[in-house]
Amino acid sequence: MTRLGFLLDSDSCIGCHACTVACKSEHDVPLGVNRTWVKYVETGSFPNVSRHFSVMRCNHCDDAPCISICPTNALFRADNGVVDFNDDNCIGCKGCMNACPYDAVYINPATNTAHKCNFCNHRIDDGLEPSCVIVCPTHAIKVADLDDPLNPATKIIARADVAVRAPEQGTNPKVYYRGADQASLNPLRTAIADDGMIWADTTPDHPSVPADSSGVVARTTYTTSHQMTWTTKVSAYLVTKAISAGVMAVAALLVLLGHAGEMAAVGVVPPMLAGFFLALTGVLLVADLKQPSRFHYLITRGSWDSWLVKGAYVLAAFAAVSAAWWVAGIAEAPDVLRVLALPVALCAAAAAGYTAMLFAQCEGRDLWQTPLLLPTLLAQAVTAGAACYSILDLFVEVPETDAIRWAFLGGVCATAALIAVEATSAGTPHVEAAVHQMIRGSYRARFWFGVLVGLLTPGCVLVIALAVGSGAPLVAAAGVAAIAGMWAYEDSFVRAGQSVPLS
Amino acid sequence: MTDLQQYPPQDQWHDHASLDAKAWPNRVETHHSLIPTTCFNCEAACGLLAYVNHETRQIDKIEGNPLHPASRGRNCAKGPATLNQVNDTERILYPMRRVGARGSGRWERVSWDEALSDIGARIAAALDEGRHNSVMYHVGRPGEDGYADRVLKAWGVDGHNSHTNICSSNARIGYQSWMGHDRPSSDFANAEVIFLISSHLEAGHYFNPHAQRIIEAQAKGATVICVDPRLSNTGAKADHWLAAWPGTEPFLLLTIARLLIENGAWEREFVRRWVNWETYLRETRPDLRLEFESLETALLDAYAEYTPDAAEEVCGIDGGQLREIAEIIGAHPTKFASHNWRAAGAGNLGGWQTARCLFFLNVLTGSVATVGGTSGNGWNKFKPTQPKGAPPLHQWNELSWPREYPLSYHEMSILLPHFLNEGRGTLDVYFSRVYNPVWTNPDGFSWLEALTDESKVRCHVALTPTWSETAWYADYVLPMGVGTERHDVASFETHNGRWIGFRQPVMRRYAQLRGETLGPDTRSREFNPGEVSEENEFWIDLSWRIDPDGTRGIRKWFESDERPGTPISVDEYYGTMFAESVPGLADAAAEAGKTPLEYMRDTGSFAVPGDMVTPYERTVAPEATAQCHKGADQVYRKPGTIAAWDGTPEHLAEITLADLGEGSPAVEVDGEAKEGFPTPSKKLELFSTTLADWGWPEYAAPTWIKSHVHHQDLDLAGNERILLPTFRIPTLIHTRSANSKWLNEISHRHPLWIHPSDAEKLGIEENGLVRVSTRIGHFVIQAWRTEGIRPGVVAASHHMGRWRIEEDKARSWSAGKARIDRIDDGDGGQCWKLTRTDGIRRFDSDDPDSRRIWWNDTGVHQNLTFSVQPDPISGMQCWLQRVRVAPAESGDQYGDVVVDTAKSREAYHQWLSMTRPAPGPGGLRRPLWYARPLKPAAEMYHLPDS
Repeated sequence: MTRLGFLLDSDSCIGCHACTVACKSEHDVPLGVNRTWVKYVETGSFPNVSRHFSVMRCNHCDDAPCISICPTNALFRADNGVVDFNDDNCIGCKGCMNACPYDAVYINPATNTAHKCNFCNHRIDDGLEPSCVIVCPTHAIKVADLDDPLNPATKIIARADVAVRAPEQGTNPKVYYRGADQASLNPLRTAIADDGMIWADTTPDHPSVPADSSGVVARTTYTTSHQMTWTTKVSAYLVTKAISAGVMAVAALLVLLGHAGEMAAVGVVPPMLAGFFLALTGVLLVADLKQPSRFHYLITRGSWDSWLVKGAYVLAAFAAVSAAWWVAGIAEAPDVLRVLALPVALCAAAAAGYTAMLFAQCEGRDLWQTPLLLPTLLAQAVTAGAACYSILDLFVEVPETDAIRWAFLGGVCATAALIAVEATSAGTPHVEAAVHQMIRGSYRARFWFGVLVGLLTPGCVLVIALAVGSGAPLVAAAGVAAIAGMWAYEDSFVRAGQSVPLS
Repeated sequence: MTDLQQYPPQDQWHDHASLDAKAWPNRVETHHSLIPTTCFNCEAACGLLAYVNHETRQIDKIEGNPLHPASRGRNCAKGPATLNQVNDTERILYPMRRVGARGSGRWERVSWDEALSDIGARIAAALDEGRHNSVMYHVGRPGEDGYADRVLKAWGVDGHNSHTNICSSNARIGYQSWMGHDRPSSDFANAEVIFLISSHLEAGHYFNPHAQRIIEAQAKGATVICVDPRLSNTGAKADHWLAAWPGTEPFLLLTIARLLIENGAWEREFVRRWVNWETYLRETRPDLRLEFESLETALLDAYAEYTPDAAEEVCGIDGGQLREIAEIIGAHPTKFASHNWRAAGAGNLGGWQTARCLFFLNVLTGSVATVGGTSGNGWNKFKPTQPKGAPPLHQWNELSWPREYPLSYHEMSILLPHFLNEGRGTLDVYFSRVYNPVWTNPDGFSWLEALTDESKVRCHVALTPTWSETAWYADYVLPMGVGTERHDVASFETHNGRWIGFRQPVMRRYAQLRGETLGPDTRSREFNPGEVSEENEFWIDLSWRIDPDGTRGIRKWFESDERPGTPISVDEYYGTMFAESVPGLADAAAEAGKTPLEYMRDTGSFAVPGDMVTPYERTVAPEATAQCHKGADQVYRKPGTIAAWDGTPEHLAEITLADLGEGSPAVEVDGEAKEGFPTPSKKLELFSTTLADWGWPEYAAPTWIKSHVHHQDLDLAGNERILLPTFRIPTLIHTRSANSKWLNEISHRHPLWIHPSDAEKLGIEENGLVRVSTRIGHFVIQAWRTEGIRPGVVAASHHMGRWRIEEDKARSWSAGKARIDRIDDGDGGQCWKLTRTDGIRRFDSDDPDSRRIWWNDTGVHQNLTFSVQPDPISGMQCWLQRVRVAPAESGDQYGDVVVDTAKSREAYHQWLSMTRPAPGPGGLRRPLWYARPLKPAAEMYHLPDS
């Protein structure tokens, strides 16, 4: 068998960027994105100062998270071990960009599909070395067949002191570095200083930890930009989905509490509301695709390894049971609702919670991989559902308002507790950097808005309302606040997760 | 895994099927012709392979040429980026003539015919009226060896002007004063110690070929030492980075030299045989016995002050480290490869002693033209004879070769605007060719003043592949091809070996491969984008216009031998050259069943056979010295050569100048006639009699000359600092890389490197704006704190600060928008001010990438604020600047440049007053043996009024 990897020899690399340009030429890579680039870091102080070069690119992982998350088999493992891609299949969901712990994948603005180093597999097929290999003045990039112990580069990997990037991610990368400065391989140990880089502008798309972060031992003086990929639409999708799932979950709860016969507040309005927000969820998801017209590939070319595909089926199932609920509601068939209550509750929980599994596939976003994400999402769904019911209470006769308020309060408290645990637990440096960004860094306004408006305010209102036993308009306002705050928090969480530099 | 190849096998180069990268993993085959040519970005002239798509008839990509002996299939970033230069949407595609005032930016398209006729008529008139010196060809990057010289010679015009004295004058005179060759040829690949006063792992001559071999040697265990006040990438890779105070490098080198002698770690036998130590002793130590044993004493005395302790004080380098380095060097005799081309050499007054002192180490270690040592370019660079060469000129152009600088290497090009201003001459036709003096040279506003004065420069023709600040002030802008669009032959001393490279217009060659018949009237512009031409054909056609009927005696040098009465074709020209003047090429071609020209079109390069290791040791056959007279110095002097000149002006007419040296065939060493060196003594000249005889006896032996920016003379406690404005970036090449989007995406920012301790002392904030004031003006730039620079020195890279005046003209991937004004300086005088109105912005073009530009900085045009500072001996612009560094003042904007050209003239006069003008011995303008482009007939060297 053949199992290709690269040996990147920082001992020989002179930082000339020839590989970068040769790659741009071979693959017609547009400005603003890169399949490969040379990172510069500087260490020490005058006169004992040095600059180190390391080439960054796809690691062609044996356990490639980008392949696992790819919903449409656009990313695939070639027979020679290379992680390759097929433009024809890509829907532009950007999952791969969050799954990759190496900043290796980008959306090509010319094709709106995900691209990355594919080892020049079209050249390998022709019996030719990749373009970066042949251009390199100092032979600092070598092809290794890791299944061939006699291959010269494989021998070096076997015998010399080599390192890989982010081994803790368990991706089994196949790009080995010889002679690289350790800090240059760890993006949390080096930072772009406030006065920028050596000969390129620094933009907000050049992620870096703050220069004064603890653990920073070197200065990044050259690297490339990496756009944040999942932003407002994704955080909004989390909220609309929570509302949709939460409303149906509360409706199911009301059925269990014996209100199956109250068609307006249980049988008809909730599924309409859920349907609306589910449709909105779908619209947001499709709109976030770089190739929205290909959304049906999720079904026609779907990969069962991907939680994007599983999630699509979960949402479809949830939509189906909710629709059935609505039909039963219109038909005034409380018995059917009683039968549907459990499946609806389960589907609602799945719809609310599956994102935790999807985010867990994002190996590049340690913050999102917290085990607390699933309970948080469920608690948020309960909060959102109860909040909606509290608003609904102004317009239709809603039974069990106290129970709903208790659920609301429970959701808020649980969410608050989970976020508090998340924010205060020790984590990996990556998680701590993300948490720092979320709570004290770039996203702190959104985060604290989420906490104060989305959790604290509704919590206080609910305690008072439960104590005095009235105040529907106030509770409804608390519902609005909870949902607004939830979006702010989700946005800070989604963005902070992506704010940690990976290269 | 099947063995992967670097390149498709050569037998497939005319039709190679490759898989389309974009269609992959669908297997779509594309057919290409792989056509070799030569890169035209830096001087290294690396081999390229252009992939021409059979279907689209476009170049799809450009890779390296694996057959090229120097670049070996590899390239730096600038090689593949040639594709950008071909496809640049902003490039000049047609000949343009100005319609408004010069510099007004109003142009009309003209035909090549109109342009050639007008320019030809102007030159013809100048020649007919005896104004030969008013025709000047001013070349930046030659990219070829001898073609343009041949043209000027044929015209009888001493009109060659070059960029040498903003580049390498100092290194040249440093090397030449030792060995006659004016350029080092380092065998890095086989060296055990590599000493670089350069940044050859990222820039310079010859970046890619040298970097390959330096790293190869380092991997085998060689020690790499790099001297640079700034942490270059080369310094970062070096085993020893020595950030000596700028201008003290010769001191540091002499300290090492002294340590070698002190340690007894010098190659005495080599020095005894090959150094002119007798002359040295005779001239410097008449008190000692004239025997080799005295040399050690003499040297130890001469260099007594160069101790490690003193070096610590003067150079700022730890003495212990110097001792360690001296021990390493001493332990590797004959394997010491060194290099200096610009860097400290180009920076300092007396910077030529950098190369001289550096090569001293080669001499002491016996590492001269050895395997692993440093040789001379004359031995490793192979220059084929240009066919149809005219006899030497009978002109001397004092605009380029003024009498104040008899030893200059070469033309005093930086002084041209001042000379024009002083009325030393005027120019009928001034060709600027791949040269951008308004931007690149010091004192650009003086250039702007000269170029806009039509009484001084009557017609300015810019021959250029791309817009430049200088082309903006031209009367004609004539588009010339990039690396894939022109014919040239080049060779460089990149390693221990000789080669020639052939550049060719790729699409023209492609047409030929596809069976199109190319006649003698075919022109490359028929195949290039738009009407982009190439100079070979331009010169032939222009010469024909200058002398259409042959009466001026010019046409015959451009006439076909095969078809008399018609212009020679490039095929005929290079066919003759390759068949007749490249040893071994005809045989190799015959073996391949091709004509030599066809062979070169298919391979793009040829390794010239032959061993050039220690060529000075080659024994000279008695018949070669038969008619010679052997002097007391054991040199065989040949009648008719410089060495046999009797010193009278009359006798000069009988002297033929050699390309290199005095033309003496041999020197006797230990009783054997040896080839020796192309110096007057035929030996390595520890004592340069030429320097002594021409007025500089104090510098005849290697020594340290205190720089104009010497740190001990600076007000470092105040805000005076040394500005290093010349360092290069691996991805850019002067002002020629502006038309490459990939290169400019990587490098476009232009901060002022400053050590944090300096920033603190000077009150400069992180990212703060800084006003850097020179003798003639100031510029405003942003600070960048870095540990990678010696405190006391600040630095801003060369390349950046490009500008254009109009939004949609002369646009590139690197030029910001600027405005130029004349302003009152407050003292009643007039200043120039350049204001940056915008950095780079997105723009609409046929290339969608122009809407994806994500950066903004284009840098600051600092060179405008530098006065001319020509070294009084070499003529080298001493680039380092004594500046005041302070936080920006209120009203200062990033990119501001303010200059008073009256102060420029003051500075010019002051530096001019440091010279020791001709005549030299024999009433000469210049030593006869000194190298010079377009060497005129010997009698032209005599100053008429001396």
